[in-house]
Amino acid sequence: MIREADSIPNGSRLEADVCVVGGGPAGIALALSLSDQGHAVLLLESGRLEPHAPTQDLYEGEVADEQLHSPPGKYRQRRLGGSSAIWGGRCMPFDPIDFETRAHIPHSGWPISYEDLLPYYPRANALAEAGRFLYDAGEALAPGTGPLIAGFDSERVLSNGLERFSCPTHFGNRYARRLALAPTLEVLLGANCTALRLQEGGQALRELQVRTLAGTQFTVAARNTVLATGGLETARLLLASRDVAPQGVGNTHDVVGRYYMCHIAGNVGTLTVHGPTSDVRHGYEISPEGIYCRRRLSIAAGEQQRLGLANAVARLHFPRITDPAHRSGVLSGLFLARKLISYEYSKRLKDGPPPTAAVYARHLRNVLADPLDTTGFLAHWLSKRTLAERKFPSVILRNRSNRFSLEVHGEQIPQAHSRVTLAGGTDALGMPRLKVDWRYSRADIDSLGASLDVMAEEFARSGKARFDYNRHTLEEDVMRFGAYGGHHIGTARMGTDPRSSVVDADCRVHSVRNLFVAGSAVFPTSSQANPTLTLIALSLRLGDFLSRQLRAERAPLQMKEAA
Amino acid sequence: MKVLVLGASGHIGARLMEMLQATPWAKATGASRRMKNTASWLEVDSRDPRQLAQALQGFDAVVNCVAGDAVSIADGARALAQAALQAGCRRIVHLSTMSVYGPAEGRVREDAPLNPSLGWYGSAKCEAEAAMHDFARHGGEAVMLRPGCVYGPGSQLWVGRIGRWLQAGRLGDLGIAGDGWANLVHVDDVCQALLLALRLPTAQGKIPVFNLAAPDSPRWNDYFVDLALAINATPVRRLGRRRLQLDAWLCGPPLKAAERGLKLLGSHGVKLPDALPPGLLALWSQHIHLDTQAATHRLGVRWTPYADGLRDSAAWFTAPAAASRHTLDKVICTP
Repeated sequence: MIREADSIPNGSRLEADVCVVGGGPAGIALALSLSDQGHAVLLLESGRLEPHAPTQDLYEGEVADEQLHSPPGKYRQRRLGGSSAIWGGRCMPFDPIDFETRAHIPHSGWPISYEDLLPYYPRANALAEAGRFLYDAGEALAPGTGPLIAGFDSERVLSNGLERFSCPTHFGNRYARRLALAPTLEVLLGANCTALRLQEGGQALRELQVRTLAGTQFTVAARNTVLATGGLETARLLLASRDVAPQGVGNTHDVVGRYYMCHIAGNVGTLTVHGPTSDVRHGYEISPEGIYCRRRLSIAAGEQQRLGLANAVARLHFPRITDPAHRSGVLSGLFLARKLISYEYSKRLKDGPPPTAAVYARHLRNVLADPLDTTGFLAHWLSKRTLAERKFPSVILRNRSNRFSLEVHGEQIPQAHSRVTLAGGTDALGMPRLKVDWRYSRADIDSLGASLDVMAEEFARSGKARFDYNRHTLEEDVMRFGAYGGHHIGTARMGTDPRSSVVDADCRVHSVRNLFVAGSAVFPTSSQANPTLTLIALSLRLGDFLSRQLRAERAPLQMKEAA
Repeated sequence: MKVLVLGASGHIGARLMEMLQATPWAKATGASRRMKNTASWLEVDSRDPRQLAQALQGFDAVVNCVAGDAVSIADGARALAQAALQAGCRRIVHLSTMSVYGPAEGRVREDAPLNPSLGWYGSAKCEAEAAMHDFARHGGEAVMLRPGCVYGPGSQLWVGRIGRWLQAGRLGDLGIAGDGWANLVHVDDVCQALLLALRLPTAQGKIPVFNLAAPDSPRWNDYFVDLALAINATPVRRLGRRRLQLDAWLCGPPLKAAERGLKLLGSHGVKLPDALPPGLLALWSQHIHLDTQAATHRLGVRWTPYADGLRDSAAWFTAPAAASRHTLDKVICTP
């Protein structure tokens, strides 16, 4: 059932086996999985299906440096479906090496392995509508599909890995009917969790305080509570709940909000492929089950270990859009239309000083000089993206010159002083607002540079391509837009030691036995991969854990009744 | 046990005849409107109570697999109930359908209320069930089975035309429009259930009813993608509700008209694309999930795993003869 939180009588106390706070991909995956197994689930969602400005405003907060990190309310959507309402849909699993404790990556190592999560990835893939769980081009694509670059085959730089694309699926729209029909599941819309109230002594959660913007207040006392409110809001809720634990829930050792990570990303250098343009497959391919897939370059795990690298991938990309020197009508058209594109997707179209009239004129000339290509692009975009149910994932230009930049997406090394904290002001419900102070380090840039060096070496060795980039401008290239938007990771990290982590291997807050966290907040390291697929898989794993635990709790009772 | 199978030339009836003939305990006779040249066959118009009563003489049980239009289904069932009482045929095993639940959603058990509102088929099937209740009230023994969508080799409805739509790019992954449960049941499992129902002990005046659907049957989207991959109708297309509606409402009527026209002209050589009945669009997005606990535990059906059913279905579809084989069930638009 889905209903309005304002229909709950003021002052009520609701109960459930599991209360899930937050109806995004993590919360929806978890709630559906638990209700499938017959448990009574209450899902609290702050918004509704449609965006709502006063609700969205609850996310507003501060950033230490707006050049480095977008405001906390950007890239996030406070509504049913969560930020999947605006995501790009890129899906790929983490790599086995991401879970390992790596001597060269401080604070690395998950308390679970890739194999622990693997059983949940195929279901996560299905929920994200990204097809089969196959991420090697050899297995996933129709036989005979050529390699990324014909003749390029390296054991150090892998080019057969794929990323897959969701529709992108809006989890709220897509799964509303399932949520509404699940017999043991209730979704409350407009329900904001504003405080976690611990029992005296702090070892268990007593109840959640819930408020609506219209003024309704009630509490939820669940056997288990899961925070699935995203990498920023989860930390905010833990830190702001200070009635029993003055430093915040789960924050005995001052770890909540720390080790905050995004990804290091940007367009770098020039890759020149020798030979005919037909040798390169830089764009999207469609897998037999109809999913857009794209190849990526990555550094083999052994090489990462040997050279002490953080994980990173690279895709073949077009040149910087803002510089009209690319002479592409399509890119200039995008540049000129950037004000019509949402903040989240236009950020990387706005860099450097404000463009002069001369720059505008050169972009306009590009568009006018290239009418066929521009028109063809628009027609393709209209039919395969605007009007399509499964959207063509991003702008791909026809390869006319065999010259590309590399679009890199790299792991960020965790560090304690990259963090989110509570800021001075409060939101409409009296919750302290959040302040984001994201940091990166020299080591992040150096690692990415070393990865690019390996790629350059291997391209040169193969004789099939050549990659040049300027090591001195690398930091500028990848920090031009600051942290990669929307990947909010690590603020309630998973680990075995309460002094350096917030939740244990089962996503349970160390000090609070019935409080759990779902979502990328628990990732202790960020991988090369976008977080959504993995956070769905981890939610499904949490669902199985809670289900087993609830059954075990019930079993002795039933035996007693039988006796 | 002497068993008469009505509708024995249909998809289910034909397979049931084979399975009955393989049992040591049953002696099966098939019946349909058209005569077949075998010793174990009767030509019967199942809407005619007198003909039926005559045909039923000497049989211990009758299985009702009659398909067709609303009249054949509803009047046929009433005629059958009357005829069986007259002829002293003790038991009717009646093949009903999940369509009797109408637009119900969620887990549906056999005690859910019937709802004839979804169209002629469900309505006729509800009437047919009512006739079985009459039969039981007058001392007869009846068992009713309510299958979901019967797939497997020979299923034009749920393999043949689905496969053809997939090949033509008119069907694929439908997103929300295909999120309903498919409630697939293998034709062999339906026949197995019919066999079990023939020998199920029943209490006076009570009609045991069983839903039939494989417990591991997926949602429609999964079935469409799996079948498409299995028959190489790739890459699978993502289609939205609007596109399906256009196909059903714009292309459907002319295709139906052309089909009828060709039939009137007596032309059987021309193969037209299958029209997409609008009722199917509703079915594919209907979250009805048949509960099959009773069939599993009380009737003892051992279900064909979905993967095996899919493989059989795809093998039948891709075999050279399958595409041109049209059976009686082609005239029905809903399960």
